[in-house]
Amino acid sequence: MPPIAQYVFNGVVTGGILALPAVAFSLLWRLLRFPNFAVSTYLTVGAYVALVLNHGVRASIELAWLGALVVTGALALLVDRIAFRPMRDRRPFSLAIASIGVAFVLENVVRFVWGNDFRSYDVPVTRGMSVAGLRIGRDQLLILGVAVVLMALAQAFLLRTRLGIAMRATADNPRLAAVKGVPTERVIALATLGGGGLAGGAGVFLGLDASIDPLMGGGLIISVFAAAILGGIGSAPGALAGALIVGIMEEVGMLVVPPTYKTAIGFTIILAVLLVRPTGLAGARS
Amino acid sequence: MIAYLTAIATLVGVRALLTLGLNVQWGLTGLVNLGAVAFFAVGAYTSALLAVGGAPLVFAWPAAVGLATAAGAGLAMVALRLREDYLAIVTLGFGEVLRLFLLNEAWLTRGANGVTAIPRPLHARFAGHYDLFYLALVLVVVALVYAALERLRRSPFGRVLRAIREDEIVAAVAGKPVFRFKVQAFALGAGIAGLAGILFAHYLAYVEPNMFLPQESLFVWLALILGGSGNNRGALLGSLVLLGLLEGSRFAKDVIPFLTGVRLAAAQQILVGVVLVVLMIRRPEGLLPEQPGSD
Repeated sequence: MPPIAQYVFNGVVTGGILALPAVAFSLLWRLLRFPNFAVSTYLTVGAYVALVLNHGVRASIELAWLGALVVTGALALLVDRIAFRPMRDRRPFSLAIASIGVAFVLENVVRFVWGNDFRSYDVPVTRGMSVAGLRIGRDQLLILGVAVVLMALAQAFLLRTRLGIAMRATADNPRLAAVKGVPTERVIALATLGGGGLAGGAGVFLGLDASIDPLMGGGLIISVFAAAILGGIGSAPGALAGALIVGIMEEVGMLVVPPTYKTAIGFTIILAVLLVRPTGLAGARS
Repeated sequence: MIAYLTAIATLVGVRALLTLGLNVQWGLTGLVNLGAVAFFAVGAYTSALLAVGGAPLVFAWPAAVGLATAAGAGLAMVALRLREDYLAIVTLGFGEVLRLFLLNEAWLTRGANGVTAIPRPLHARFAGHYDLFYLALVLVVVALVYAALERLRRSPFGRVLRAIREDEIVAAVAGKPVFRFKVQAFALGAGIAGLAGILFAHYLAYVEPNMFLPQESLFVWLALILGGSGNNRGALLGSLVLLGLLEGSRFAKDVIPFLTGVRLAAAQQILVGVVLVVLMIRRPEGLLPEQPGSD
């Protein structure tokens, strides 16, 4: 049996992938005030966009990844325009239900076109390294590196740029921000585009690290939720930390429970956090 | 054809019970529950396992309703203090974890193989036209539950539930123990879902974990919102229209040649998703909206 450190390392990689949709989910939740269940399905969409580019037009995986980022972001924006924008002033739960409907549609469009089979990208086979008894894949390092860079960029955007500051202002108090001249709809559009892109890119990572199938993203919704709640809704560094904790606990947890119970670990984290602090760790206001 | 219609009508009855259960929780009291399928599964499995183990149905059925109700009360006591959006994920997760439990704990649930040869009540007595008998049984149960819920809706208890839905702070100021009422409403809805599970299990004589996927909870939502939440008649109508949608699209297979089994299932679910989103945007009050002040 591999040492515990191997499970921890795998968990860090899983956490790095999970962090991208978790940040998107968390920021969109804070901004639009409803949990958007479609975010985890954007991973599936991104993975299949890259699959088409990679298999169909023989694009390298790097190029396919960029394509997935752009197309998924655009799709998220389109979904927002069609489904969520007409419902902006409705109670959060109505939007949450609509987002489940959206997730359901997207997942089944993928299933309709590609079926239920597991697929993978055409990528050159690389040999994993062995460091201090750990098996470390080149892909895994790359995924982790890119995820960290993307997280840093997202954080820098939120803290330093005009639009990022406008976004945080809208998240804190949409009316006050609007009165002060923040273009609310533009901020929402940008967050949706960026969030969709992050999730789509994460989908390609997930496809590289594991495999591609219609349920790959939707099946992560509980883990994404757990990461966002653990980190406090609306906090990008919080979501990153939350995702790492969830990723590690899910992988290490496999030493104790069968792998099929993975989802139950995320669920337990959610329950534990919510029961200790019903408003989440960072105490976001309702 | 008669056999087909009988089967469809029986399943509409089972779905109608699920929808009536959710209507107590969401329609009447405003409680979020994305895990209706969990209580459906608890009812189905409890009754199936007891009956297969040799317990008489007069014992197995009340036990199954009881356990589903207790599971609802338990989840409600833990989760109903949470904000609505958190409650959404907790109930959704509860349903999924329960399904994993059914799948993994084979010592109790027989795992992925499912429970087979579930006894069918009074099978020997009505041999020959058993399906018609079972349909009648389901319809009688639906009618009884419907009548009871209509009474409940107009009773002082039902008025408190609706008051909680509209504004729980006002209800609390008026001296109502809001949390206790919410737990009772949630447990009642869960018990009705459990009853639906019993009828489902003994009708098919077979249950397995993948009959209880999270999407089943979504179908219940669709039926409720379609019909008109808060309205028991709407819940019945919604279940009928939903099954019409699902079954009607099955015939598309004969018309469109490239529809394989997987594609057909996917197309059905796309239809369900689209209808749900359009309804939420265009007609959230449903086909039969609740009449204000309909006491």
